[in-house]
Order: sequence, then structure tokens, then C-alpha cells
Amino acid sequence: MTASKATREQLRRHNRQLMLHAVYSGLADNRAALAQETGLAKPTVSDLIGELIDEGLLIEVGRGQSTDSGGKRPTLLQFVPDARQVIGISLDVDRVRGVLCNMAGKIIAQHHANLLDIEGHPVIDIVQHVINGLIAQLDAPLLCIGIGVPGIVENSIGVVRYAPQFGWQNLPLAEILTDCFHVPVYVANKAEMAAMGQFAFGMPNDSRSPVVVLLNSTIEIGMVLGGAIYHNGGDISSLHVSRHIGQHSETGRLETFLSWPYLKRRAELLRQEHPNTTLPITGLTFMHMQYAALHGDVAAQTLVEEITDILAQVFSWIIAMLRPDHISLAGGIVDLGETVLNRIMDKAESLVQPELVQSVKFSLAESYELSALGAVAEALQNELGLVR
Amino acid sequence: MKKPTIGIITNNQYGVFQRNILAGVHEIARTNGYDVLIDSLAEDPLHPRLVSLEWQKLTGVIVIANAASDELLRHIYESGKPISLVSHRVPGVPIPGVTSNNNQGIAELVRHLVKGCHRRKFVYIRGEINQDDGIQRETVFRHELMRYNLAAEEMYFVRGDFDPEVAAASIRELLEHQVHFDVILAADYQMAIVAVELLQTAGIKVPDDVSVAGFGDAPAAQAAGLTTVSADIIELGRRAARQLIGQVNGLTIQGVTTLSVQLMIRETTAP
Repeated sequence: MTASKATREQLRRHNRQLMLHAVYSGLADNRAALAQETGLAKPTVSDLIGELIDEGLLIEVGRGQSTDSGGKRPTLLQFVPDARQVIGISLDVDRVRGVLCNMAGKIIAQHHANLLDIEGHPVIDIVQHVINGLIAQLDAPLLCIGIGVPGIVENSIGVVRYAPQFGWQNLPLAEILTDCFHVPVYVANKAEMAAMGQFAFGMPNDSRSPVVVLLNSTIEIGMVLGGAIYHNGGDISSLHVSRHIGQHSETGRLETFLSWPYLKRRAELLRQEHPNTTLPITGLTFMHMQYAALHGDVAAQTLVEEITDILAQVFSWIIAMLRPDHISLAGGIVDLGETVLNRIMDKAESLVQPELVQSVKFSLAESYELSALGAVAEALQNELGLVR
Repeated sequence: MKKPTIGIITNNQYGVFQRNILAGVHEIARTNGYDVLIDSLAEDPLHPRLVSLEWQKLTGVIVIANAASDELLRHIYESGKPISLVSHRVPGVPIPGVTSNNNQGIAELVRHLVKGCHRRKFVYIRGEINQDDGIQRETVFRHELMRYNLAAEEMYFVRGDFDPEVAAASIRELLEHQVHFDVILAADYQMAIVAVELLQTAGIKVPDDVSVAGFGDAPAAQAAGLTTVSADIIELGRRAARQLIGQVNGLTIQGVTTLSVQLMIRETTAP
């Protein structure tokens, strides 16, 4: 392909996105208004609209009002969100989750596979089998696929540089899945996808720069800046933090202090100090911790306090360095509840200027599908320029 | 040429749940040019019979709930025959399935009852304790109680088995022992309807004295004014058929397709 041809195709694609976005977001609803809104020549607009109507992405829905100067009543255009469907996937250490959505982000079907139930199968195969599960439920053509992965991802070429949970290193995930499903595939870190999910579907329209702190098997942050994912977030598990237990102070990696093996060991030690604790010996969850802590269980209260100490440090770094307008805590840790979120904010105020903390909104992102929905939003954004 | 045929194994084709699943499967099968054969095992519940469907000769098999033994399911799966399970799973065998979203449904019901209706003293009418929906709904219920800083002693988890008569016996026993509670949550709507009837017969006002809600929805629940989460069971049947046909067409599928549910607030719950 010549450079000029590539440029013409890119330009055409860009112009199509402009048209779709203008109609989707209500900025323009007819050809003349689209020409005015986008600055494109009327014949170009007519060509592109004809193409989008032929593909079923837009429909004509009657006539609008004449302008003040009179003249022909314009033919109104409407976006058809059900004309295509999009698959969003998110991977965690124990589960692959997928959603099938229309182009407005409405969930049509969900599908998941527990990795622990199907040990012995390569994770990449299970990802394909989850996508197959959603393809079986399609009732419109598949437009594209988005996928959120824990670890370090080179988004521009769809390569997973490092995802140790799955043994992936320099895995060309987008290429593998494109070869398999014959549609464009967009890959990003799953916390980045979660931030996109919050931005596109989960929060009020006035938030322009939400950050998501995602705590599952890893600790990752994702951020959206002005409507696009900031692709240099991701895994912060290896950052060093300090913590204090009584007079004792120690330094270690975030993943050390917030990992499940560590929290379980810590609960065991606290159980020895407080034998009456109601924290379960097996099957400990964040929900058990918050329940016991609320019932005055000293071991649980100590454990929760230690977690909030660490997270307050993480939040204060984010606030000082990135100055977001909204921070959401996501992952299994949201089961610790609003009380814990408030404690984190209080403690963060002692680590950076309180005014900075007070200028940020905080929330718990309770949807388990947040990263998968964000993957849908990211894919739609790349493919059609359609998010907010 | 003989049409491809989907076989369905169910324990009772006339049960409300099963009937709706069958309607959904029939719809998608017809659209895609498949015949449907049904093997219903327990139309006489006292004399259930063994699976007689010659599954080897069929295009694929859908099994509703725990109608077939895990051993048979494993055997069908390992033979390579396309198979989909409705509201069931076999531990350690990655047979794909479809189910309504039990987590979302129970979480929404508990949130409504605690936050919206200010109820704290729960009785939970359990489903069948060997069946996937029954297990999942109870697990989520126990988890959600903790979210709202609530606890229920084991005596407040009563037997229901997804059978209104069993549920009725359990509610009668609670009433006889004058156990105090202000809300009943049932693992399905049919058991909840019976609970409403028994409470009213006993002179207990619903929802003033006791709020009642159940999982799943149907015209009978609507007629009873019961608060539920609506799970579209016909759609669940459609999903199962699509999943099976997807496999017949060459898709390898692992995991479970879940169907979202919707909270339906009616007269049996109030602040």
C-alpha cells in the first residue's frame, strides 16, 4: 500500500468517525448540520452518510424543520445502536469475564469461565472459548473486540509485554485474536479499561479525568484524560511503601502488603493475638473483614486499618501526581464498604494537602463487569469514535 | 433429508421453569431448522425413570437443571457431542451452560429489603440444596447479609427445595414456634407466594408486619403482588439453544452465559 493511499483511507475513516460521533452525541441530525459541524464539504458528507446508511449504522427518520431562511426541510438521521455488537473481555487470575453489548453499551449477554475449574487449558484458549460463548449469542454482526489484561500492555500494537499470572511475555494478543475472529481487537491494561468503563458508562458526565484503583490479584491504576485512556498507567504492584505495626516499621512492595497470601498470614498472626476473633480460618474474604470489624472484632479492625494505611499512601500519590477529579476503588476490596473508603480519604488528607484531597470525588466501583465494559468502550472509541 | 435434532433432558416438562425453557429452545430451534425431542423423566414424581433419550443419534443435547446424573453428563461431553446445561454445572468438567444471574438477583433483593424496606430479621426459604441455583442463591444471600452488618442463625434458613409444599411446611413450623422475623426471602417466587398466603391466613399483615420477596417472576407472582427479581426464563431457553447451535456449528465454548435480572417491586414489600 502506498503512503498516499494509507493516508486517504485514514482520512476517510476519521471522517466517518466524525459523522457517527456527531449523530450519536446529538450534535447534528442532518446532512447540512453535519457539514457545518464537521467542516467537511457537503458532497463528502453525502457520500459518507450514504455509506453509513448502506451499512445500517444510520437511518433516515423523516423530515426536520426548515431553517429560519426557509428552504427544503432536512432529512433527519438517527444512529442505530443495535446495528452492530461489540465484545468486551477482562482477565483476572481466576476468571475470564466477557460482555456482549450493543453500540450504546447496553449489555446483551454476559459469559464467564472460572480458570480454576478448567485447569490445564492455556489461558489464551479459554479467552477464545469465552468469546465463542458470546459469539453464539450474537444477533447483529460483530464490530470489534476489546480486552483488558492485568500487567504491562503495549496498547498501540496490542502486545502484552508482561502478565506473569498467565506466563505471558511479549504475547501479540491482538494479532492472535484478530486472526481467529476476523475483526479488529483492542488490548489495554485492565485497570485502564476499568477507568474507561467508569468514564463511558459509570459516572456523571462532568468527570473528565477519572482514575480507577483496581485491587485484585495485582494493584493497578487506570486513568482517562479528556476522553481517552492514558496508556502509561497499569500495574503498580512493585512500588515500595512503608507500614507501621505498633513501634515496628517496615518497607515492602505494595503487592506484598495487599496480596491475599500476605493478608491471610497477617490474619493468622492477629488471630494468635486475639483468639476470640470471628475472622474465619479458611475462606477469608474482604466481606468477612468488614463484617467482623463493624462488630468490634479487634483483629479485623486492625487488619482493615492496616489496609487503609497502605491505600491512603496510594491515593495520596495519585492525587499529588495526577490531580484526577474522581478516584474509584474497584475489585474485590469494594466489599470493605464506604466506611473504609472514608477512612482512606481521611488518612490521605494527612499525607498531602487536605484541599487537594477535598477537591477529588471518591467512589466504590461495584460492577464486576467494569473492565469488560471499559473494553467495549475502548473498542468503540477506537473503531467508531463513539464514547461520550 | 432428516432434520438435525436437539434433545432435551428434563425432570418434568410441565413445571413452570422447565416449560418456559422448552418454549425458548423450541423458538430458536424452529428458526434454525432443528427438530426438538424431549425426554421428561418424572411426570409421575413418585416413579421417575432413567434417561431414555438416544443422545448418540442426536445433533446435540440440552439438559435442564439436575435432570441427569453427573456421570451421564460427563460421558456425553467426553464423547464430543455438543451439550449445554441450564442452571447446572458438573464440578471439574467444563461443560458450557446458561443461568440467570443469581448473584445480581439476590444482591438486589437484599438491598431493596434492607435499604428500601428497613428489614433486618430475615427468614430465608432455601432452594434445592444439591442444585446449582439453590446453592448459588443461598451463598450470595449469606454474603449479602454481611454487607449490611446482619446475621441470621441457622434456624432462620428453612427448607423449601423449590417445592411450595415443602416451603409451606417450614413456614407453618416457624409460625407454630412463634419465631420472630420481619422479612421472608425465598429462593423462588412460588415458595414466596405460599409464604404470603400462610402469613395472611395466620393474621400477619404483609407487608406491614412481614415483607416477602422471591427470586424469579411469572404472571402468578404478579397476580399475588409479589416483589421479585424477574428472570426471563424463555430467554434463558433461547440462550441455551443458541449456545448449543453455536457448538454444533463448530464453536468451542467453555464457561457460563448469564442472563441479567430486574428488580420488580410490588405490594408484598414496604418500608
